[in-house]
Amino acid sequence: MEKITITLNVNNESHEVLVAPNDTLLEVLRDQLDFTGSKESCGEGVCGSCTVHMDGKPVRACLTLALEAENIEIKTVEGLANGDELSPLQQSFIDHGAVQCGFCTPGMLMSADALLNNNRQPDEATVRKAISGNICRCTGYAKIVHAVAHAHNPHQGCCDCNHKE
Amino acid sequence: MSDYNLIGKRMPRVDSRSKVTGKVRFTADLNLPGMLVGKVKRSPYAHARIVKIDTSKAKALPGVKAVVTGEDTEGVKWGVFAYTRDQQFIQMEKVRYIGDEVAGVAAVDEETALKALDLIEVEYEELPAVFDPLEAMASKGPLIHDDFPDNINVHVNIDTGSVDENFEKSHYIREDTFVAAEESYFQAEPYAVVARFDEEDCLEVWMPNGGPHMKSKPLSNAFKIPLHKVKVKKIAIGGAFGGRSEICPVDYICALLAKRTKAPVKIQFTREENTIATRQGHSMIVTHKTGVDKEGQVLARETTCYMDGGAYSSTGPIATSVPFLSMEQAYRMGSVRYNGYRIYTNKPIRGMIRVHGRAFACGVDTQLDMIADHLSIDPVEIRLKNSRQPGEYTSTKSQVSSCAMDETILKAVEKSKFKEKWGKLPAYHGIGIGTNSVQTGFPMGIRGGSQAFIKFNEDGEATVMSGVVDNGQGNDNMLVQIAAEELGLLPEDIHLVSADTETTSSDPGSYSQVSTFVGGQAVQVAAKNCKKRLFDVAAKILKVEPDTLAAKNRMIYVKDDPEKSIPIKKVVRIALLNFTSVNAQGGYWPKVDMKREWVSNPFGQMCEAFSFGTTIIEVKVDPDTGQVEVLEATAVQDVGKALNPLVLEGQFEGSIAMGGQANLTEYHDWKDGRVLNPTMLEYKLPLACDMPPKINNIIVESVDPKGPYGAKEAGMSIAMSAAQAYAAAVSNAIGVYLDSYPLTPDKILAAIKKKQEEEAKQGAKKARVN
Amino acid sequence: MRLPRFEYLEPDDLTQALDMLASHKEDVKIIAGGTDLLVRMKNQLLTPAFVMSMKQLSGLSYIKNHDDTLTIGAKTTLADIVDSDDIQEGYTALAQAAERVGAETIQHHRGTISGNILQDTRCIHYNQSRFHRSGRQPCHKDGGKICYARDEGDRCYSTYQGDMAPALIALEAKVVLSKKDGKRTINLSDLFTSDGFHPFSIEPDELLTEIILPKQKNNSKSAYQRLSYRSAIDYPITSAGVMINSKAEKIKKARIVVGSMSRAPLFMVKASETLAEKSLTDIDAFKEAAGIAMDNAGTFAVHNAGSTLEYRCDMTFVMVLKALEQAAGIEK
Ligand SMILES: Cc1cc2nc3c(=O)[nH]c(=O)nc-3n(C[C@H](O)[C@H](O)[C@H](O)COP(=O)(O)OP(=O)(O)OC[C@H]3O[C@@H](n4cnc5c(N)ncnc54)[C@H](O)[C@@H]3O)c2cc1C
Ligand code: SF4
Ligand code: FES
Ligand code: FES
Repeated sequence: MEKITITLNVNNESHEVLVAPNDTLLEVLRDQLDFTGSKESCGEGVCGSCTVHMDGKPVRACLTLALEAENIEIKTVEGLANGDELSPLQQSFIDHGAVQCGFCTPGMLMSADALLNNNRQPDEATVRKAISGNICRCTGYAKIVHAVAHAHNPHQGCCDCNHKE
Repeated sequence: MSDYNLIGKRMPRVDSRSKVTGKVRFTADLNLPGMLVGKVKRSPYAHARIVKIDTSKAKALPGVKAVVTGEDTEGVKWGVFAYTRDQQFIQMEKVRYIGDEVAGVAAVDEETALKALDLIEVEYEELPAVFDPLEAMASKGPLIHDDFPDNINVHVNIDTGSVDENFEKSHYIREDTFVAAEESYFQAEPYAVVARFDEEDCLEVWMPNGGPHMKSKPLSNAFKIPLHKVKVKKIAIGGAFGGRSEICPVDYICALLAKRTKAPVKIQFTREENTIATRQGHSMIVTHKTGVDKEGQVLARETTCYMDGGAYSSTGPIATSVPFLSMEQAYRMGSVRYNGYRIYTNKPIRGMIRVHGRAFACGVDTQLDMIADHLSIDPVEIRLKNSRQPGEYTSTKSQVSSCAMDETILKAVEKSKFKEKWGKLPAYHGIGIGTNSVQTGFPMGIRGGSQAFIKFNEDGEATVMSGVVDNGQGNDNMLVQIAAEELGLLPEDIHLVSADTETTSSDPGSYSQVSTFVGGQAVQVAAKNCKKRLFDVAAKILKVEPDTLAAKNRMIYVKDDPEKSIPIKKVVRIALLNFTSVNAQGGYWPKVDMKREWVSNPFGQMCEAFSFGTTIIEVKVDPDTGQVEVLEATAVQDVGKALNPLVLEGQFEGSIAMGGQANLTEYHDWKDGRVLNPTMLEYKLPLACDMPPKINNIIVESVDPKGPYGAKEAGMSIAMSAAQAYAAAVSNAIGVYLDSYPLTPDKILAAIKKKQEEEAKQGAKKARVN
Repeated sequence: MRLPRFEYLEPDDLTQALDMLASHKEDVKIIAGGTDLLVRMKNQLLTPAFVMSMKQLSGLSYIKNHDDTLTIGAKTTLADIVDSDDIQEGYTALAQAAERVGAETIQHHRGTISGNILQDTRCIHYNQSRFHRSGRQPCHKDGGKICYARDEGDRCYSTYQGDMAPALIALEAKVVLSKKDGKRTINLSDLFTSDGFHPFSIEPDELLTEIILPKQKNNSKSAYQRLSYRSAIDYPITSAGVMINSKAEKIKKARIVVGSMSRAPLFMVKASETLAEKSLTDIDAFKEAAGIAMDNAGTFAVHNAGSTLEYRCDMTFVMVLKALEQAAGIEK
């Protein structure tokens, strides 16, 4: 089994990595490139904590071969903020108390970000559906749903919508 | 009300920024130079004698750095209590469940470590195994631990006297049995440990934990090294829910491998390992016999409970008691007799979990509803008739000081429009209520208190040191919020050093709902002391008395003359010029009855405060499929004082999911001691679309006289009462009292069908009579 | 969780792909989206020497409308199927099935129609880690001689839980299987062997390249219903794909297919036939058909897919009935 050098484009930067065919994208992101924001909670496609974008689409990094991710734009949670400036979605998660233990948060953000890229003002039912592939054990989802729905669309009457659009 | 700057405010958590950027590190995210990968060899048999272990082939595999077995240990048995020491960290003689640890390896990478596991040859002699607690108790079954006859691990007996007389006096008595399968934590973060011995031979170890000091002591015992040489380090934790409080054999195995290899070692559990080899909830069979007077007041209750404890004791005595305690705190009972048995079986080890005792708690409330039904009073009335009142003593003689249980009931009833809906909803719609109470703390002997230190830095900012751990619930924020409030600083001025056994004092840990009450209070006391030192210096500068001063927004000012002020930073610097530094300590030890013991003396003051919660749930059941749609949830809790409503609501909502929604789908399925659903594919954790679209959170503040700012436990009372309310609502929707949890669609459908058949029979009978 | 080792092959085009299959045969496994294959490999249910990627075969990703048929390339993703107006309108059952698969973020963007069809049969005793399967005898599907799902079971009864095949079979789909020197087109139903050990009749050197859906005459409506314990991330425990072909409010042809109750989707011949010439509003006829479907499916199912067997059987009736009502346009 030979290792192969490939170029991965992660968060708009190219990285040369030496990967084995049986390395998953998640393993390479975490172990070689130190993008440990993406988490492994189940390793078999169930939980969504490893969700990243490939060409803008949310997918499971734990069920993607690193070799198959070549020549594809990959975005991880580390790529959401613009330097020190958080994205409105990230800020909304903070303001709405959508983060508890934070282990599901990166995956949740990536699923939600993909939704908001197509639909900036989703209603709550749409948000619930978009994050239905992400398991959160702490929050009961209510605050996450608010955070996503209000990210670009601060609601009057929501006491946590302090952020400006 | 007093005007706090931060207390009571919806303050976004200080730890969320690093979590939304992905920068925060959990244990598995650590990457130390030269780090090895550790793996654990586990028993594939439920009950077997270990005949021989041959590690030579594994050791010979290139890349393998160490292989350890029980032979490499001191062979000491560990237990939470002196009388429950029954578990070795690596088994030498016998394995008692599928997953029991038999060896550990450290290798250069995961593939090599996994290959090495395969190369370890273990010869077993299989023994008869037992998986059912009642069978295990019948003495002819195999003994799992030689020194525990009938496989009874713990027997808690509580009798207040007069039970039989009061049954005689009762107007109505009923006896019902309730059962529940085991549930699991499914913390988002799978368990992981990183360990290394540093240049001074100190053990440094990172792992998710419910209290770092509960981890360091057993490690120091096992390695026979002083406690100060065991450094359990702070790390972000992806959930605990009661399941990560004790030492885990793998903590020790990882450290042992690090010691052997002189290198850092990381062990990361698979999802399956997290399910089978940490803890699970107890499954149980509970019989409540209750006698009431004409008005529905409980005169006597006798409860017998059999809990499947799995292979080892864990927190057995506590686990066997807590469901009873929640009942006796929530409800007044004229007299009560309790027999709780925790039974060993050849299944994974059971521990404390957020809804501790589904069958117990749901049974109490379901039976109350049945009694109310019989007496033609409504569920709200019967609860108000029996609800705990402030100032009273529980059956086991704990005084309850602050208590707004009635208010939680009334507020929930009002918000949910219970009275308007009860009995008036369309077919297969239902509404149900659950009420519960949770203790803020357990008697923990010398570990019951917490001590905090605060030092001011020359820039006017402060460092706070506390043993409190944050499992994800927001304890770090709570500590910062309290310190900033007291010191007159902004949250960003506080640097928190916590949950680290090297730098922080002992703390009871987060699993007895006591973090705010004890650990938070310790920080409050320390901050008050520190503020006093600041004020002493400032008073001299401002030429006023210290008690005329207040602090806010980084300034110290005269209360009656706010213009007269001085920046805190300046005060700190002036103090330094005067040869003093501004720092202080403070601690809090709850005044509990130190003689109270779980088994030998279960009477006396349990803890200083109790929280009370009521949940009301409205559901719609699909009579064709038995599936439940939850329309609305109303969660009301007496939390004493809401330090941060934003965080509290998160606890309530999480509780509706893990306590309530879980009671529809979550359980473990078995085949010969194997868990058939160890991953979240087959174990049905609720998703966003499964949850009620609307959760009403209502906070009730009874302001506890002992709690910091009046605060007590938050969240668990909702989890417990939510489980009960879900049961009540579904029962109400289908007109059948359900007694087996969780309430999966197949059970609900079967109950509906049975009822329809009975009604058809009745109808036919009636027709014949006519 | 670590994948076992393998060599990775990435053909540039179809010809090269078919060559590779021809030379490696049993030793190679095809990876489309990988969302079924990689999970099984992580559990070491299979450890192929070679894994051949369809990544570069972009020519196999299409939905094309022809005069008599609609053709779908093997590599078309579930998201593309859900988004296709042609499928939403003309082949509603397929769109509904695709939409209900797992969750958007698991496989809708990477998962493919061919991978969905060719996902392996499942069993709660088999789709487990290697550790779980150790310390006991291997079952039939694992290369052994016993079955944990049925006492004394002399063969494997693992359940086909794919969502799209029942819908596709109801829609009379055909599939094109290509190999180095030739290709064959078969009914999708014939791709299934009803053998839990070897669920598909595809040869190791064949690649599924296209799915062909005929255009139905008359007024044709289809629907798919499935049941699971959770709103997403959940395989169905029973499901039904139906198609109703009608003229002047009379049913001319009906096809009822039950999924997740056996080793293959079950085309319910008898139940389907009872509906011929019935009115589109004849609920009793639908109930009768659903009852027959339930009884027939019940004889195949074993207790290996979560919940109780009795419940799954009962729910088969409900799913078939709901699907029929939906296809017939009966609003509930
Ligand atoms: C958590 C989870 C939940 C899931 N839930 C569902 C569900 O609810 N319903 C459902 O139907 N599925 C479900 N799946 C299974 C799977 O994700 C989907 O079926 C998906 O559509 C498979 O497509 P794929 O392209 O990823 O398949 P792959 O994994 O790439 O392939 C599956 C199989 O088909 C073979 N194959 C693929 N393409 C071809 C071809 N062109 N020719 C020959 N052989 C081929 C592969 O060799 C492999 O054996 C779930 C999976 C996970 C991890
Ligand atoms: S049905 Fe029987 S033989 Fe087939 S996978 Fe399940 S246990 Fe194995
Ligand atoms: S780790 Fe990838 S889905 Fe759970
Ligand atoms: S915040 Fe802990 S799992 Fe979601």
